[in-house]
Amino acid sequence: MSEQAILTPSLNENEILRVENLSMHFGGLKAVEKLSFSINEHEIFGLIGPNGAGKTTVFNCITQFYKPSEGRVLFLTKQGLTENLVGQKVHNIIRKGLVRTFQNVELVSELSLLDNVLVGGHIDFKSSGFSQALRLPKARKEEKAMREKAERVLNFMGIDHMKDALAGGQPYGVRKKVEMARTLMCEPKLIILDEPAAGLNDVETQQLAETIREVRDTYNCTILLVEHDMRLVMGICDRICAISFGKFLACDTPERIQRNSLVQEAYLGEKEG
Amino acid sequence: MKQDSIITKITKNTYLRFVLFGLIISMIPVLTGGGILKTSWLGIIGGTIIYTIAALGLNLLLGYSGLISLGTAGFMGLGAYISAYVTGNLGLPWEVGILAAVIIPVIFGILIGLASLRMEGLYLGIVTLCVAEVLRKTFDELEPLTGGFSGKSAEYPTLLGIFKLNQGTTFVLLCVVLVLMMILTYHLANGQLGRALNAMRGSNVAAQAMGVSLLKYRLIAFALATGYASLAGALYAHFVKFVYPSTWNLPLSLVILAIVVIGGLRSIYGTFIGALIVYALPDLVLKRIPIIGDINGLSYVFSGVLIILVVLFYPGGCVKVFSDVKLLLQKLFKRKVKKNV
Amino acid sequence: MSTFLQLFLRSFETGAIYALATLGIIIVFRTNLVINFAQGVMGMFGAYIVTIIFMKTGMPLLLAILLGIVAAICIGIIVDFVVIRRTKKVGGSGKEIITLGMMMVFLGIAPMVFGVDPLRLPKIIETGAFTLDKANLSYNSLLNIVIGLSLTIGLFLLLQKTKLGLAIRTTASNERTARMLGIPTKKVTLFAWAFAMVLGTLSGVLIAPSTSVTVNLMDSIQVNAFIACVLGGFQTFYGPVIGAYILAIANNLLSYYVSSVWGTQILYLLVIIFIVIKPVGLIGKRVVKKV
Repeated sequence: MSEQAILTPSLNENEILRVENLSMHFGGLKAVEKLSFSINEHEIFGLIGPNGAGKTTVFNCITQFYKPSEGRVLFLTKQGLTENLVGQKVHNIIRKGLVRTFQNVELVSELSLLDNVLVGGHIDFKSSGFSQALRLPKARKEEKAMREKAERVLNFMGIDHMKDALAGGQPYGVRKKVEMARTLMCEPKLIILDEPAAGLNDVETQQLAETIREVRDTYNCTILLVEHDMRLVMGICDRICAISFGKFLACDTPERIQRNSLVQEAYLGEKEG
Repeated sequence: MKQDSIITKITKNTYLRFVLFGLIISMIPVLTGGGILKTSWLGIIGGTIIYTIAALGLNLLLGYSGLISLGTAGFMGLGAYISAYVTGNLGLPWEVGILAAVIIPVIFGILIGLASLRMEGLYLGIVTLCVAEVLRKTFDELEPLTGGFSGKSAEYPTLLGIFKLNQGTTFVLLCVVLVLMMILTYHLANGQLGRALNAMRGSNVAAQAMGVSLLKYRLIAFALATGYASLAGALYAHFVKFVYPSTWNLPLSLVILAIVVIGGLRSIYGTFIGALIVYALPDLVLKRIPIIGDINGLSYVFSGVLIILVVLFYPGGCVKVFSDVKLLLQKLFKRKVKKNV
Repeated sequence: MSTFLQLFLRSFETGAIYALATLGIIIVFRTNLVINFAQGVMGMFGAYIVTIIFMKTGMPLLLAILLGIVAAICIGIIVDFVVIRRTKKVGGSGKEIITLGMMMVFLGIAPMVFGVDPLRLPKIIETGAFTLDKANLSYNSLLNIVIGLSLTIGLFLLLQKTKLGLAIRTTASNERTARMLGIPTKKVTLFAWAFAMVLGTLSGVLIAPSTSVTVNLMDSIQVNAFIACVLGGFQTFYGPVIGAYILAIANNLLSYYVSSVWGTQILYLLVIIFIVIKPVGLIGKRVVKKV
């Protein structure tokens, strides 16, 4: 094998993301330890684990909000290349086609819903600062086209009738939808959802499950779901990876994960007898 | 259907609103010339316009990006001295002077931004404080260029090499520049840049996840603030016609900051209102009141207290008073209509 | 050699005074999480009070200083009650903007109450010096060094060894948790502001004899105190103090050996370059933000 082949990262046929030997150490604390798993294209993939398992750390490492101590994160980018995300700048990740949501729903309260969604389209603006400053025709056309796109996305989420309302006063459910809409602006290849069911009741969680499926089908993307809510995870995920104390436990279909003794142990403690 | 009156049509179009505003304030030289207003009004409102321009830049930085700069006065001084030097010592046309007065400080500002913006935003406040100190001392020391503490003189602008302006026409020029800068700010604030800056202020992490490079946009905001400030300084040089080093000190930077906060963060008209309240009001009204008017430092206390009150109780700033009053009137009107039905 | 020693000794005195102002900033920052831009003018105000008391009543300087300290504590308490208590809900740079507003208020009140003429405040120890290998150190300078050092060390002992100090450190680490643990965080912040005012006043009083008491008294100390914090890192109490001494020494050395006019500017430039290389400062620890 030539040197080139060893250096160039590569993914298998269906894979879109592969986490290889990911470790994250905070001083002496090993939050994530040699974790490996991979996600296939168009899957709805779940990452679960008991509290403190390190789920959030894992996906902060994937999205480069944390710099992993060890390991690679291979991703099949929008541009068709396989790249190792580790070491890339945080704000460049979205350009590769990977977006995330936030558990705390980070919206800008003073902006309207439409403007908040437009933030998601930031990287797609091509006109220069100069032409924007002077509102030249090219810039005006682009702004108009982006606004229309944002409206379409809000429409998909069912909230375009309130597009001009300020994000600040909106109920939690609406804000979550806006955040989801924001991620769709850039037509991502992989969306990572950070505990999307947090704070939702049963009915809303059901709607969320449907929305996630619709997003995956309509936008032809892959979804990584980091979640606590077992019903949601077992209900919509194609495959699930379970971790505990930052270490890999199992990666399998929902039915088999449920029956996996290691997973049960991690959640429920040592089996009696 | 009722036809919109001309006034309504004009006031609904943002651009026409700015132009109308500019036309109104450019009437002042006519009013002072005709004796309707005291001649001191020309200088005071001219100063207000200059401060508004500097404050618009700071508003982009503070209001949209949430970053504090205490170097506004230093950059204003830099712009003033550069323009005075280029037109006076180098004898170059006024337009070149203005260009140099904006470009050179902006480059300087970008370098400073590169150094300080990689860290916590609050460090920018401290670094700009140092820079302002360095600049102030430099203005004092660099006599051959700045004339030291005896100051440097400049002339009213000569447009296109032909039209020599006087105080009144220079004032009109100030109005034109103000309207242009307001329009520019409007474009920047409501497009991709404004959204990116807002996102940065609202949530660093969300902005980054959406592709906004914090360093790049903080730098842009800071460069813009520097450019606006140095432009204001250059205009000052050609309106007041004299530049002293002692003018460009920390209290001046605080005054500009007060204008932004009191007038209304992220509001364009609010910035002008803020300048009126912080700068013009003390000179036009407070100083005329007997006994109280003679007290030194009163305007600082006034502005300082206002800043604290606005931040604590009325974050929208004074410009919000208008929309709140409008809402109140609408509520009262609705109640009246209900009663009559 | 003696010039160097002389410079070093003088720098130590300046450093000690800077350290006091720096401590004022860092103690407020660690407990309130706000950079108090008004620290300098608050100290100027306190120094003015001491000067006026001394001039108008003719009482011994030390007594005037004592009364000034009492006044400083009162003003610090008033500031905490009237303004700071209400800033809990203020976000972003709002708190800093409020301190800037306070700065304007103090800048405005000072000429109103104390007039615009420069005033003179004498040294605590008027005459006498001792020599060390042809280097001179006046008794007053020695006193300043002693005051500066003992207050700094005293504060550290307070922080490390006393219950109040523990309360301060806990509040500094995490205010919410401290409150939940039953620590009277309101009293802690009150103490912090009063103490910062006292430190500011003291540094003003100690520097005043070498210049005159005007509105600009604390200008250079203020800037240097902030830079000391940036240099030493905002994460610890002792980092900025070390920064203060380094700044004072470097400033004097640069001004003497390189350029008296541009020395300070060069120093600031060097600090900026240092910060670019090591943004967390000399002692600072990298804080990984939780996302």
